[in-house]
Amino acid sequence: MGVWVEFELCNGCRRCLKVCPYEAVAIKDDKAVILEHCTVCGACIEVCRQEAIKSDVAERRIPDFSDYRGVWVLAEARGGELDPVTLELLGAAQLLAQDLGQEVGVILPGKNIAEPAPLLARFGAVKICLIEDDLLEPYRVETYAEVVAGVVTEYKPEILLVGATSRGRELAPRLARRLKAGLTADCTALTIDPDEKILLQTRPAFGGNIMATIASRYSRPQMATVRPGVMQPCECDGNRAEIINVSVNISESPVLAASKVLEIVRQARRQVRLSEAKVIVAGGRGTGGATGFKLIEKLAAEFGGEVAGTRIAVEEGWVPVERQVGQTGQSVRPELYIACGISGAVQHRAGMQNSRYIIAINKDPGAPIFAVADWGIVGDLHQIIPEMITQINS
Amino acid sequence: MKIVVLIKQVPDTTEVKLDRKTGNLIREGVESIVNPDDRRALELGLRLKDDFSATVTVVSMGPPQAVDVLSEALGMGCDEAVLLTDKAFAGADTWATSTTLGKALEKIGDFDLVLCGYQAIDGDTAQTGPQLAEYLNLPQACYVDNIEKLEAGKITVTRRNDNGYERISLKLPALLTISKISAEPRYPLMGNLIDACREDAKIKIWNAADIGALSQELGMAGSLTQVVKTFSPKGKRAGEILAGEVPEAVSALLEKVREAHLLKLKG
Amino acid sequence: MIRSDAEALIKKTMARFVDDEVIPRAREIDESGEFPYDLFKKLADMGVLGIRYPKEVGGSGGDTVLYCVAMQELARGLMSLAATTAMQCLMATNGLYLYGTKEMHEEYLYPALQGEKIGAFQLTEPEAGSDLGNVRTRARKTSDGYVINGMKTWSTNGPKGDFHTVLCQTDPDKGLKGLMFFFIPTTTPGFSHSKKFDCLGTRSSTLSEIYFNDCHIPEEYCLGEPGRGLDVLLTILAEIRIMTAALALGLHRAAMADSIKYCKERVQFGKPIGKNQLIQAKIANMAVNLEAGQLMVDKVTRQVRDKKPCLNEASMAKYFTVESACKASDEAMRIHGAYGFSMEYSVQRYYRDNRFLLYGGGTHEVLQTTIARQYLK
Repeated sequence: MGVWVEFELCNGCRRCLKVCPYEAVAIKDDKAVILEHCTVCGACIEVCRQEAIKSDVAERRIPDFSDYRGVWVLAEARGGELDPVTLELLGAAQLLAQDLGQEVGVILPGKNIAEPAPLLARFGAVKICLIEDDLLEPYRVETYAEVVAGVVTEYKPEILLVGATSRGRELAPRLARRLKAGLTADCTALTIDPDEKILLQTRPAFGGNIMATIASRYSRPQMATVRPGVMQPCECDGNRAEIINVSVNISESPVLAASKVLEIVRQARRQVRLSEAKVIVAGGRGTGGATGFKLIEKLAAEFGGEVAGTRIAVEEGWVPVERQVGQTGQSVRPELYIACGISGAVQHRAGMQNSRYIIAINKDPGAPIFAVADWGIVGDLHQIIPEMITQINS
Repeated sequence: MKIVVLIKQVPDTTEVKLDRKTGNLIREGVESIVNPDDRRALELGLRLKDDFSATVTVVSMGPPQAVDVLSEALGMGCDEAVLLTDKAFAGADTWATSTTLGKALEKIGDFDLVLCGYQAIDGDTAQTGPQLAEYLNLPQACYVDNIEKLEAGKITVTRRNDNGYERISLKLPALLTISKISAEPRYPLMGNLIDACREDAKIKIWNAADIGALSQELGMAGSLTQVVKTFSPKGKRAGEILAGEVPEAVSALLEKVREAHLLKLKG
Repeated sequence: MIRSDAEALIKKTMARFVDDEVIPRAREIDESGEFPYDLFKKLADMGVLGIRYPKEVGGSGGDTVLYCVAMQELARGLMSLAATTAMQCLMATNGLYLYGTKEMHEEYLYPALQGEKIGAFQLTEPEAGSDLGNVRTRARKTSDGYVINGMKTWSTNGPKGDFHTVLCQTDPDKGLKGLMFFFIPTTTPGFSHSKKFDCLGTRSSTLSEIYFNDCHIPEEYCLGEPGRGLDVLLTILAEIRIMTAALALGLHRAAMADSIKYCKERVQFGKPIGKNQLIQAKIANMAVNLEAGQLMVDKVTRQVRDKKPCLNEASMAKYFTVESACKASDEAMRIHGAYGFSMEYSVQRYYRDNRFLLYGGGTHEVLQTTIARQYLK
C-alpha cells in the first residue's frame, strides 16, 4: 500500500523531489525513490509528466460544501473591550470575502458585548452574532466552545478565523474538534486559491525555519488562527451590519460544570529568556555606556523585546552576563534582532546570525554587522533610536 | 491516582539548518529529542507521583524509533510506556492525531489526569491537547505552570495567559497542557535507562488494530488539513542600507519593519 | 521487539547533561580551581557513579561499554570532572566492590556510588611510578590487622578523599609478588596529606601527597589474597587504559567541534578560513584520528565487557587516542589563531587538560615499550 515509482517510466526529472512537502522523495541512480516517511499525500503524482508514480490509495472525495458561505471572525473581548486582533482578523476577512464574493461575519461571545458591536461594523463586519450570557464571564474554554459551535453549526460560515492569542489558541482547537473541522494554527498569510476557491493558509513551522501552506479540503468551516500583529485592520465607512442576538441555553453538562475559574490576576509580562525572545535589541561598544543602554531598553520596550549585549558590553558591566550574545555567550534566533553600536565581530555574529530579521545601526559603514543585516542605518544610535521611538508612537 | 503523560519525539529545531541552495531543511544529523514542553509535563507528572503515590503512564505516537523518548521517560521514573506506531498513523494532522491518542487513552482507561506539553517545537500548533480534551470530553486547562492542589476528584492549577494568570479548579479526570514550570525537568537515571532498553522493559507497542481504529480515520487519510507546499521563509539577507537624514532613514526602516509584520511581535 | 539502544541513549543523556550543566561552567570551574562537587553529586543522583556495578550494591546495572560512553561525553565538557568521576566509578571502588565485606559495602561503597563519599586510588610514589616493584609504602601484619607506613604522591583526591585504595609492599624481598592493595579510610589515625599541587591542567582536580604514619587497619581491609596485589591491578588495568582512551576521545571531540565551528565563522580574505586547504587538512586529520580512535575504543570496551584478554589492545588504544587528542588540541589552537591563546576560548583548556592523560594510566614511553615487547618476544 502507498506510493511507488515505476522505474522504467521515470526519467529522473526531479519534479517530484521538488514538490514533496515531506522530503520523502530521493533520487538514486537517476531515478526517483519514495522514502519510508512518505505520507501518501499525492503531490508527486500530480506533477509527474511521465505518469511514473503510482498509488493504490483511493482518492478522497471532497463532500459538497455549497451551503457553507461567509468569512467569519471569532471576536475576542474582555470586559466589553475588544482585543486588537479582532479588527486585524476583520481586515483579512474582508479581503478573503471579496475574493469569494461572500459576506464578513463576526461571532462575539461574552457579557456586556453590545458596546463593541458598532466598532465591528466599522471595521468590516456585515453580520454580527452576539452571544450574551452571564455564564460567559469569566471566560471558560468549555462553555465558549459549546456556544460558538452552536452558532457555527447554524450559520455555516465557509471560513472561520480566530486570533492566535492565548485564548484563541486553546479555544479554536477544541471548537474545531467539536465542529469536525480542519484547523491551521498561527497563520501569517491567508489567500484564496483561484481555481479551487479554497483557503490557503501559510504558517511557519520548525521554529520559523520553514513555511508551510496548508489547505482544509475535506471539512467546513476552514478554520485558522492568525498571529496578532500580522493582518491590517481596514475601516470601511458607512458599513451597516445586521446584528443577531443569539440566545443560548448553556446547558450545565458535566464537562461545563467541571471547570471553575477561582481567580484572575493581571500581571505585566515577566522578563523572557533570551533564547525565547521574539525581539532582541542588543548593544555593543558603540552604545558608550549606561545612558546608551537606557535607549536600548526603551527601544526594546517599544517592540516588547529583550535587551542583550556583546562581550564588551558585559565586561563593562552595562548588561548582566546572562544577557551576552555571541560565541562565548548565548546563541539566539529571534524574529527580529536589532544590533545597536555593534561592529559585528565574528564572535558576536556567531550568536545572532540565525535571527529571522536583523537590523544594524552603526556609525561605521564598513562594520561587518551590515553584511549580515537585512536593513541598516549608518549613523549615531543616540539620534536614531529616539527618532525610531518617536516615529513608532506617532 | 493514574496519570497519563503524552509526549512527542521532535527534531531539535535549534539545530535545524536550511540548505542554502535548495532552501530545504537539512534534517540529517539533527538529533531527535523529547519535545521540551512534554519533558516539563513529564516532570510535573513525576512530581505528582512522588507526592501522591500516583502511577505515571507515558504515551507517544510516532515511528518505531520514537521508542527512545519513551525509554527516556521510563528513565525519568514513569511506570509504564505505550508506543503507538503504525504506518497508518503517518502524516496525521492534529485532528487525526487527537483521534489516535484518544482511542489509545480509551484503551488505557480509568485515568485521573492527562498531561501534555503546551506545544511541540516542530509544529508549534498547540492544538493536539485541546482537541484530545474535546475528544475525551474532559475539562482542560492550557499553559499550566503550576499545580496548586490535588485532592479527591479535583485539581487546582495556575495557568498563564496574555494578560497575567488565572487560577482554575477542574474536576477530575481533566487534561492539562504544560508550558513553563518552575522546576527543571529531572535527568533520567542510568539504571532506569538501562532497564528501559531491555527486552522485558515495560513498553507496550500498539498499532491501529490494537486501539480499534480504522485506517481511514488515521494518519494522512484521516486528516482534515493537508500541506500543499513548503518553502524557505526567505532567501539571502537584503543587506540594504537606508540612506538619508535620520528621520527619512528611520521612516524607511520602520516601513520595512511594518511590511515584515515585526512591529507587533509582543507576546 | 522495538527497544532503544542503551549506548545511544546514555550518550544522549550525558550529552545533554554536559551541554546544559558542565560546558556553561567549565571556564569558571577551571579558573577557580574548585572541584564542582555539586555536579559530581548530580552525576551520582543520575546513577552515573554506579554505572558499571550491579544494582545489588547500589549500582545501575551497566557495563564497561556504557561506562566509557558516559565518560567520553563527560570529558567533552570538563576533563577534571570526568577524570574524578571515572576514578570513582572504577579504580577507587573496584577493590572495595570485589573484596570488601558486606559491612564495608554499606559503610563505603554504597555512599560512594551515591556521591556522598569520595574514593581515591593510590599507586605512585616518589620513587615508584611505572616501576611498581619499587613501591615502598609498607604494610606490616599485626595480630589483628595491618600497620601502614609510607607516602604516595600524585594522589588524585588526596586531600578530599574519604577512603583510599593503596598499593603497599608487604614483603620487600618478594618484590612485585609482595605487593598488596589496602583499604584505608581518611579517618584512620596517622593519615595526613600535603597541600594541593598547582598544575598546568585539570586544575579543579585535587592532587597532593598523602602520608601514612602507623595507620592501623583491620584484617578485612586487605583487598584480595595476600601477595596477589599485581593481579588485582591487572584485572582492571585494561579497563583503566580504555577508560583513559575514552576520556581522550571526548576531549578530541570537543577540540574538533570548536575548530569546525570557528573555521566556518572566521572570515579572512573574504571567505571562511575553513575554505583554506591547510585548515581542511587539520580538520581531516582530526576526523580520521577520531574515527580510528573510536573504533579502537569500541572494540576494546567490548572485549573488557566480555572478559576477553585485551591489555595490549587497550594500551594501544590509550596511546593512540591520547596522542591524537594532543595533536587535535594543538591544531585546534592553531586554527583559532590568536584567539586560541585567549583564556576566553576553551581550546587552550583542552590543550592543557589533555596533558594529564599522557601520564594517567601509564606514560606513553612505557606503553610503547610494552606494546613493542609483544612483537619482539
